[in-house]
Amino acid sequence: MQLAPPDPSILARRDRIIADLKSLLPGAIIHEPAGLATYDSDALSAYRQKPLACALPASKEEVSALLAYAAKERIPVVPRGAGTSLSGGALPRPDGIVIGLARMNRILEIDLENRCAVVEPGVTNLAVTRAVEADGFYYAPDPSSQVACTIGGNVAENSGGLHCLKYGITTNNLLGVELALPGGERVRLGGKAPALGGLDLLGIVTGSEGLLGIAVEATLRLRPRPPVTRTLLVAFPTVAQAGRCVAAIIGEGIIAAAMEFMDRRAADAVESYCAPGYPEDAEAILIIELDGVDGEVRDGLARIEHIAKTCGASVVRLAANEAERARIWAGRKAAFAATGKIAPDMLCMDGTIPRRALADMLDAIAAMSARYGLAFCNVFHAGDGNLHPLIMFDAMRDGELERAEAFGAEILTLCVKMGGVLSGEHGIGVEKRDLMGAMFDAEDLAQQERLKCAIDPERLFNPDKVFPTLSACVEQGHMHVSGGRLPFANLPRF
Amino acid sequence: MSAAGVCRLPICRGSDMAVLRPSSESELAEMVRAAAADRHTLEIMGSGSKRAMGRPTDADDCLDLSALRGIRSYDAEELVVTAASATPLREIAAELAQHRQCLGFDPADFGPLFGSAAQSGTIGGALAADVSGTRRILHGAAREHLLGLRAVNGWGNVYKAGGKVVKNVTGFDISKLMCGSLGILGPMSEVTLRLLPRPTHSACFAVRDLEPEAGLHLLRRIWREPLEASGLLYLPKIILEYFDLGGNAEAGIVLLRVEGSDEALKDKRLRLRALLEGLRVEDLAQGDALLATAANGSVFAPSPHDVWRLAVPPSAAREVAAALVGTLWYADWAGGLFWIATSGDALSAAAGLERICARAQGQLQLLRADEHQRRRFAARPSSGDGVLQLMRTVKSAFDPLALFNPGRLYEGL
Ligand SMILES: Cc1cc2nc3c(=O)[nH]c(=O)nc-3n(C[C@H](O)[C@H](O)[C@H](O)COP(=O)(O)OP(=O)(O)OC[C@H]3O[C@@H](n4cnc5c(N)ncnc54)[C@H](O)[C@@H]3O)c2cc1C
Repeated sequence: MQLAPPDPSILARRDRIIADLKSLLPGAIIHEPAGLATYDSDALSAYRQKPLACALPASKEEVSALLAYAAKERIPVVPRGAGTSLSGGALPRPDGIVIGLARMNRILEIDLENRCAVVEPGVTNLAVTRAVEADGFYYAPDPSSQVACTIGGNVAENSGGLHCLKYGITTNNLLGVELALPGGERVRLGGKAPALGGLDLLGIVTGSEGLLGIAVEATLRLRPRPPVTRTLLVAFPTVAQAGRCVAAIIGEGIIAAAMEFMDRRAADAVESYCAPGYPEDAEAILIIELDGVDGEVRDGLARIEHIAKTCGASVVRLAANEAERARIWAGRKAAFAATGKIAPDMLCMDGTIPRRALADMLDAIAAMSARYGLAFCNVFHAGDGNLHPLIMFDAMRDGELERAEAFGAEILTLCVKMGGVLSGEHGIGVEKRDLMGAMFDAEDLAQQERLKCAIDPERLFNPDKVFPTLSACVEQGHMHVSGGRLPFANLPRF
Repeated sequence: MSAAGVCRLPICRGSDMAVLRPSSESELAEMVRAAAADRHTLEIMGSGSKRAMGRPTDADDCLDLSALRGIRSYDAEELVVTAASATPLREIAAELAQHRQCLGFDPADFGPLFGSAAQSGTIGGALAADVSGTRRILHGAAREHLLGLRAVNGWGNVYKAGGKVVKNVTGFDISKLMCGSLGILGPMSEVTLRLLPRPTHSACFAVRDLEPEAGLHLLRRIWREPLEASGLLYLPKIILEYFDLGGNAEAGIVLLRVEGSDEALKDKRLRLRALLEGLRVEDLAQGDALLATAANGSVFAPSPHDVWRLAVPPSAAREVAAALVGTLWYADWAGGLFWIATSGDALSAAAGLERICARAQGQLQLLRADEHQRRRFAARPSSGDGVLQLMRTVKSAFDPLALFNPGRLYEGL
């Protein structure tokens, strides 16, 4: 992967820029190499790069001041929350300023009358639920990284979680943001009142990976905690049977709160890591959760049990109590860490496919694994077809990182061929940037880039991310050039 | 390419707009390219059922998409449907019903409110106008359900955005922008939507004799309970004669609906009974139809009133209701949406409503009035000039020559 070379004119001004930043935000600028090491990558740690400086604003006004300065000096900025991005979204640039939002971590308002909370971007995902659970509410999107990841990062990545099957991803649970635009101006998008049409700017900002602005405040939808939650552990002798079971449950019109899949390798890794007590000798395990009122859940459980048995399940086990339920989930949530224990390095992929293609996809991944000579395991959000194959490798061995990346790219390309997409919840970042062409043609990408260019014509916000081309906005006058010919060559340019 | 002719649609009567009626996506693109070259602005139309909704547009030509129709693929097992953008909603609904599925945003049918036939709208129009119905409080707005699309931009180029699977964060979420855009970003040619299983059972209740304050409070109280209510409305006494509710009313009525399996409903009924202890509760047999009337605004169809919608944070509902004394109104979405009907000069009504709207930090929409009034009412996004400027910027990224539906959304946009 090629990143644009740093701008030497910025590097040459380094000392003055740091002095300026220090006077702008005294005590909140990191520029020594040792301090910058913390910020040199996110959870896609295969890529590392120290930024020119890192600024830690404590207020939206400070964010605006930084952005005004960056615009004046034409310095790239890379927003950062907790740095848990798996797609390299927060990877710095050597000529850029990282704007770390972790200090803006106050919950500003809890408004149960309107079922929402207003928070600063550095508040962690889990902190929101913690703040309202005593009142019987929670914030539904629950990425596995929820202890650490921030709401700002969730907004930027449009993050999902284990329960988005029923409750949606970030965009479906976000009522409003205050956004700091390139140049520092701030606008409020959405809010506590439902929208009645208009251009849905909130919608386009969510999931824009820090390319369109910095979220400095967010208004989040809260939900009342369902009275009953039950969790089933289902084991299958073959992966194909598990795949069929998932499709059958969805096709039956049952909306589970969560439906998670682990293959044999993942289950084994987890078993030796934290012993959740998963059935042995199963090729595939499903964790299925239902929530709602009592009758609804009971009814759903009975139907699912029937479907599972019809699909050939060898074990159908209902968690008897909260402790057992927690243990089942602990295993799933530790899949990442457990795999990390058995392999020196790991890449976590993130494509989505139509649910019915699951079994074929899993076969195909196994065949690729043999071809690339790299082990893998599969954990994923089966209910919405969101795959997370974990590719294991050793970066110290010559060529293994490249092989692992090629393996991952082949999986994602196949996702697209099967009618799916490159990313279900982790975003494109730098990781999948060069694969965008597998899903979008030149026109599709040009339309997205025009939007980027219209809002950030200097391309200072998180450059190098999401889009494969490095063309400057101005050169094309926001026009897509196809085969060297400008469309409407006879129209005046603007 | 079908030749451009003079508009013969009843809605165009008297105007000399040319009508362009593409029969394929590529023809659509070609027509837009030609319009761009001639700088002809275009009014985008599905079936025209909401042409009289909100701000009128003054375009040179009419781009009639009605020939772009038909379900392209329907995958019941995946709960995903792809259809040409001007496919009639009723065609889609009928197909989905065969598999006990439905569109998640519960589209309201605004046709009758604007003098069109019932059930005459298209899927593209329903999305572009975001006609989210009563179930919005449970399943969200149109934006929550549009997975991907194909469209033509102001350069006359076809592009696609989003995908055809239920979970996708690949690239900018352009589908969101299209919902509620009223076509100002250009014509969609094809849309892909996620679907929901149709609830097998539904129960509606009326809670009678509630003054606005108590009624609106009850809506929010139920909304905060884990009942997944799919309808939470309040009808004040003044509006009751417009609804077919029977009985004689002392005061207003709360309408509520819960859905789910048979077993689920038994439980929800129990919980509701506890919540509604001491109140006058009745089962409503025709509840779904009644709620649809409210969502469609069709109670005002035969009346001469101007019709507005005002969205507010539900906690502001009480204050809004107090300010609306003597006016015809009712509330949907747990008190987050007010339907308001006024008579007399719409613009003087607007001044009062705008004050109420500003105090409640809401958003005001003039849905129906005569064309002159709709043209003069200065609709605005709720949150100020910075947002309007950003909307202009976004518009320019799709339609730099301002070809599509000029002025339809806001003045100059
Ligand atoms: C163990 C583990 C498990 C995970 N599980 C899940 C999961 O289940 N589901 C899921 O969706 N993701 C998951 N992730 C990915 C990651 O946690 C999410 O993408 C998360 O939202 C990132 O938040 P962050 O605060 O760490 O953001 P960062 O990593 O710091 O930044 C992510 C992106 O957001 C931008 N950004 C950050 N803050 C802002 C802001 N305020 N305004 C604008 N842009 C901003 C950055 O520039 C970057 O592009 C997981 C990651 C790990 C390491």
